[in-house]
Amino acid sequence: MVKIYVIDNGGQWTHREWRTLRYLGADTKILPNTTPFQILNEEEVDGLVLSGGAPRIGLENKLGNCAEYLEKASFPILGICAGHQFMARFYGGDAKPSKTPEFGRVELTLLTSDCPLFEDVPPVSTVWESHNDEVTVLPVCFIHLAESKDCKIQAMAHKEKPFFGLQFHPEVEHTAYGEQMFTNFVSICKN
Amino acid sequence: MFNPEQFINESIQTLQETIKGRALIAFSGGVDSTVCAALVNKAIGDRLIAVHVDTGFMRKHEAEQVKNIMESMGLNHRFIDASKEYFSALQNVTDPEEKRRIIGKKFIDIFERVAQTEKLTYLVQGTIAPDWIESGGELRDTIKSHHNVGGLPDKMKLKLIEPLRDLYKDEVRKLARSLRLSISERQPFPGPGLAIRILGEATKDRTEIVREACYIVEQEIEKASEQGKMTLPWQYFAVLLPVKSVGVHGDKRAYGDVIAVRAVESIDAMTCAFSNIPSDVIDIISNRITNTLGDSVNRVVYDVTNKPPGTIEWE
Repeated sequence: MVKIYVIDNGGQWTHREWRTLRYLGADTKILPNTTPFQILNEEEVDGLVLSGGAPRIGLENKLGNCAEYLEKASFPILGICAGHQFMARFYGGDAKPSKTPEFGRVELTLLTSDCPLFEDVPPVSTVWESHNDEVTVLPVCFIHLAESKDCKIQAMAHKEKPFFGLQFHPEVEHTAYGEQMFTNFVSICKN
Repeated sequence: MFNPEQFINESIQTLQETIKGRALIAFSGGVDSTVCAALVNKAIGDRLIAVHVDTGFMRKHEAEQVKNIMESMGLNHRFIDASKEYFSALQNVTDPEEKRRIIGKKFIDIFERVAQTEKLTYLVQGTIAPDWIESGGELRDTIKSHHNVGGLPDKMKLKLIEPLRDLYKDEVRKLARSLRLSISERQPFPGPGLAIRILGEATKDRTEIVREACYIVEQEIEKASEQGKMTLPWQYFAVLLPVKSVGVHGDKRAYGDVIAVRAVESIDAMTCAFSNIPSDVIDIISNRITNTLGDSVNRVVYDVTNKPPGTIEWE
């Protein structure tokens, strides 16, 4: 059974991420973001989700032990919302308060068709958002994968490592292809 | 996927192992507490007492409905009319969080009283995931303190049991169907009841207004859905706003209350989209509210906010 843990950064939908993974048959657990990397290593996780949360990554530079995970992990990591913004900052990009924060329904446009995270996801789809900050500068080692009208960097992937960042929330019911994206992430973790 | 039969069997076993004495279940008659009562009843039989507190903020005809549910399930039950206590505790209270905390605390006070008289050791609650998630704590921001979480004292004599803690409403409904409970499709109704559908002070008079408005919204939407004009929304109700607006009644100036109609589509209450109620149905609702409640309400508005940025209830 593929083991994918959820790191809780205090999001409203952290538990939804856990539910989605459980429904997809993954062995999953929610851990606080103060968990040392060593524990993930000892438990031999196959993948990690960094949840969103109330911390303002556009204003502060810390998100529990997330830096340590990004630094040391060789398994896939999916950063969502605050997790995605932190990932961008960690790799030399930037996150700032959004000019137009997005809440609720947003139209997502994919910029590439060959990212494994978006397999079987149509080029344009409905996603659900809830953010005050966003990634404003893409790290040089990342590819830009998707955008919306008001937020350019909706999705990104590391050029070499299996690290992905999503500004929107694939874990909620109202994101049309959210479960598909999680299915894809589970397959990435299995390989 | 979620397997209701497996969940039911496992939780009955866990409940039998955990509950050694007698237990009280906080019973509102909604899907969560009714499912929870059925599970615990299967596990420990008549060592369980279902307690329903009438806060004075229940919907029209709800008291009789809840009594019927408790009786039809064969539950050992107590019905406590605490409406006077609640109205007096909420006097002059307008802050939504304060309202929720007072209501939550009062529930626990009442349960502790019952527990003492009846020698009960456990408090069972039908708390589900959104309740504790939205109530916040540590890293997580408090969106709203749910009555069954925010009202709990730091030190409680009763031992707390919450078998549905990790489930969402859609999963609880699956349990209800599997247990063949009549309430499986009942729309969600918050623990603090109509008190949080009255923005500002929840007085007795204002409760009567919102109670009637909620009744009209429920009746008309249910009728429209039976007639095939729309599908039944996930939740649908009325909210009494704390503003007044000018109107005209029979050539005379009217200055009255505003009712907001809310109807949403959701699966788990964690996100929602507002419902597209057909305009003729909205028209009927608006007319009936302003005619029935003509002495107080002269304007009806429709809430077109998704979650986020809104929440389902207004407080």
